[in-house]
Amino acid sequence: MTLFLHTYQFFTQHPGTIWRHTLQQLYLVAIPLAAAILVAVPLTMLATRVRRLYGPVMGFANAMQTIPSLALLALMIAIGLGIGVLPAVLALFLYALMPIVRNTYVGIMGVDPGVKDAARGMGVTSWQLLWMVEMPLALHVIIAGIRSALVATIGFATLASLIGAGGLGSLIMEGMGLASNSIVLAGTIPAIVLAFLAEGLMSRVERVLTPRGLRV
Amino acid sequence: MTDADMASPVGDTDAILEFRGVTKSFGGRAPAVRHFTLSVPRGQLVVLIGPSGCGKTTTLRMVNRLIEPTDGSIWLEGRNYKSYNPVELRRRLGYVIQRIGLMPHLTIGDNIAFVLRLLGQAPQARRARASELLEMVGLDPAEYLDRYPTELSGGQQQRIGVLRALAHDPDIILMDEPFGALDPLMREQLQEEFKRLLRTVSKTIVFVTHDMDEALSMADVIVLMKDGAIVQVAPPEEMLRHPADEFVASFMGRHRVLRQASEVSVADVMIASPVMTPEASGLARSLELMRRRRVNSLLVHDAGGHYVGVVRQSELQDHIEAGDQSPVGSLADRTADTLAPSDSGLTAMHQLLSHQQLDSLPVLDADDRIVGLVTRGTLVGLLGDALRVAADVQEIRAEAASAPAGEVAR
Ligand SMILES: Nc1ncnc2c1ncn2[C@@H]1O[C@H](COP(=O)(O)OP(=O)(O)OP(=O)(O)O)[C@@H](O)[C@H]1O
Ligand SMILES: [Mg+2]
Repeated sequence: MTLFLHTYQFFTQHPGTIWRHTLQQLYLVAIPLAAAILVAVPLTMLATRVRRLYGPVMGFANAMQTIPSLALLALMIAIGLGIGVLPAVLALFLYALMPIVRNTYVGIMGVDPGVKDAARGMGVTSWQLLWMVEMPLALHVIIAGIRSALVATIGFATLASLIGAGGLGSLIMEGMGLASNSIVLAGTIPAIVLAFLAEGLMSRVERVLTPRGLRV
Repeated sequence: MTDADMASPVGDTDAILEFRGVTKSFGGRAPAVRHFTLSVPRGQLVVLIGPSGCGKTTTLRMVNRLIEPTDGSIWLEGRNYKSYNPVELRRRLGYVIQRIGLMPHLTIGDNIAFVLRLLGQAPQARRARASELLEMVGLDPAEYLDRYPTELSGGQQQRIGVLRALAHDPDIILMDEPFGALDPLMREQLQEEFKRLLRTVSKTIVFVTHDMDEALSMADVIVLMKDGAIVQVAPPEEMLRHPADEFVASFMGRHRVLRQASEVSVADVMIASPVMTPEASGLARSLELMRRRRVNSLLVHDAGGHYVGVVRQSELQDHIEAGDQSPVGSLADRTADTLAPSDSGLTAMHQLLSHQQLDSLPVLDADDRIVGLVTRGTLVGLLGDALRVAADVQEIRAEAASAPAGEVAR
């Protein structure tokens, strides 16, 4: 009981600290994720046109996610990026690629061949096929991929403080160093709330972006 | 391809669409389409028909360049297909694909007007055109325009698939089994609807089907294909009457038989000299005649050759045993139906089959004189084909039904 009291006190006494770490955490998630979307979606779209690209692209993304997250962080230091925000963002970016690449590919390739065929038969260009048919029909699958990338990134971001990137993770580390459970909780609770909020938001986005004709 | 080839629309000047020696091979296998040469006159509905895999879809898709021919050329409105940009060509043609392929994320209105959107028409105009087309097939635009494809029945979806090909009013429409996914009743309804639609607009149509009923009801010209090659090109009537070979004949199967039975007259098939006896003849003599000629009934006529009736062997025997001394005429029965020489084979078939106890029917001229006899045996010739086709079908069905069971047993 006292633990909760102490945690509550920490929250009320250091709102600025918690807010700062939460904001850092947000950046640590948003920037790599945005970058991963911007890179993975167009690249994978290209791979659906130029099939031989898919192997290397997916292979790379897969490898990045297979490397244990801690090892990936350590790798950033090993390749000379040192510690801080930049290597953490890069590691998180690499980590987020796979679900987005996978779902973009599956989403686009999974569009009913009959629908694509009809569109081609009516005279769409390759671009129009992508924008008018494949993207709208694949969007909810791509969003689902982004959603799992987001969940993975939020989890991973807490570890990023290990290489000095800040965020809620550093609050948790600090608490552990001081053997203060209340400080640990002060880092953990916002991290959990953040994860649930993000997840809830994304599932709503996914639903809204599912074409009405595809909803069951 | 020489310059002359590109420039000269030789051949049928009336043809809006022409195939010249078109061949398509996929990889190393036997060509899917071989030396396909065909002229399609403007305004005609040409049906491509043949067994599954004979190259119908491939032929169709070479017209809108979804598939490039390996050899030969296709001419549209006197221009070589290669002179058209594929995308622009497709926007000029109408195309109904084998699988309906409506866009699930677009409303019915947007689906119908999809090509119009590609052609850059304003939303208002597109919507108006979609409404107009929906009305043409009796679907209320207010109700359907803003629905999604999944909210429609299969039949309605296929209607939309057809309307979509009509939206931009193309001169040539390619239709790949447009009513394929429907039950026979629904299919017939859509065929009628479509034919009605075609009366208001003149279109050149290449129509693929594997249903002979559909071909016979829709086609101006039927093109029968087998293994990628044309076997016969003819209007329906001619194909029924003069099939080019065994394959065509068997493909037309029961249609030919029924058509034959209705076209053949009783005079063509009847026995012209049936076994007859004058009415004054004695019973024993008549019975002897039957034995000699191996028949079990006799036609009885009067002195002027007029039909009096028919006597059956069993009856004759009974009366002889009973010591009856009257002439055969007294036993003649004339209650059964008779035929005229001009009646159709179908009528004869119908009458014989609806009276189980009758083996034969006399054929009488206008003056009631006996001119012939139609027996069940006579009709077997006519029916033979039909029965054989039916038996084949049943055999195939039985095999199909037993095959999986056999697998399980093993
Ligand atoms: N893209 C392709 N690659 C390889 N072979 C193909 C391709 N398209 C068609 N074929 C082959 O070409 C032949 C003709 O196919 P096609 O689709 O034209 O037949 P079809 O007459 O339309 O048959 P169905 O009545 O079943 O639709 C078949 O043997 C088919 O396997
Ligand atoms: Mg086909």
